Amino acid sequence: MTPATPHGSPLGFHSYDPGIGAGSLVLWGSPYPVGSGRVDIDGGTAELLVHNVCSVFDVFTVPNSFDPNHALGIFSAIINSMKIEWSGVTRSVIGFSNATNKFRGDFYECSATIAVSATTPKDTGQGFHFESDPATTHTNFAQFGKEHNGVFF
Amino acid sequence: MNDEKSISWKKLQEKWLTRRSLIRGAAGTAAGAGLLLGSGLRLPARADDDDKGERRKCKSVPRPIPHISTPPGGHFFFPGPVDADPTTSPNTGHDPSIITDFKGAIGQVDLIFSGTGTDLNTGASATYDFHTDMRFMDGVFVGLDNEQHRGAIGFI
Repeated sequence: MTPATPHGSPLGFHSYDPGIGAGSLVLWGSPYPVGSGRVDIDGGTAELLVHNVCSVFDVFTVPNSFDPNHALGIFSAIINSMKIEWSGVTRSVIGFSNATNKFRGDFYECSATIAVSATTPKDTGQGFHFESDPATTHTNFAQFGKEHNGVFF
Repeated sequence: MNDEKSISWKKLQEKWLTRRSLIRGAAGTAAGAGLLLGSGLRLPARADDDDKGERRKCKSVPRPIPHISTPPGGHFFFPGPVDADPTTSPNTGHDPSIITDFKGAIGQVDLIFSGTGTDLNTGASATYDFHTDMRFMDGVFVGLDNEQHRGAIGFI
């Protein structure tokens, strides 16, 4: 596990997530504007584009996110913008159905790039800003698709 | 890196827990960072962004998928192929959605990338290497209010 210190580097650690939805238990979920995520099955691409996502926190480390006391602290933050593009399908899983987990759909494994900027406001005392370089993106795993689950299975 | 045959799901979990989240980094290192509706399904989906009614001022809240991956104990599967073997990979792959009672478009990424981090208090800047597990679910879901909603949820 990553050392639980926010000062393990010259600029410290920063980790952003929306927390766990009170009552719903949805993990690290945040509402996006309708239509933020789009898939083009025929074109073999997908895209997510969002701006000013304010429902995130800088929790410094993932263990601190799961710590109910957030011993390292927790501060309001913002994802200023984020664009993820999926393309280059390498594997298609069409008509897949999993009765155990009650989901079905068509899925396309591919690669992706991300362009993101995020800010922990200066007035938190933990002021930090990040700008990604999309050209550096390395894909461990990426997929897009269309699915039905739960009552829609 | 999510090769089911070469990396055990436990290692994937460890790696995910160690390195996931939108931004988490250290300068110059790679370490940092059933509800059953029945006839209710015939109800038209509501577009949350277009809600104007008094009772719709609050965003509708979806339900998580039933599966729990432990550790860390959350309703999600780690990133991987949907057709992963459930006996050797019970927590990796499978349903990429974090919400249930959902139909629509999904996107999922497990990425490593770099950028520039700036300390806004000191002005110091440095290269950061980061890791992220991001997803979106954009379509129709049944919320905790037992009604259908048109909406989008991101996993950050």
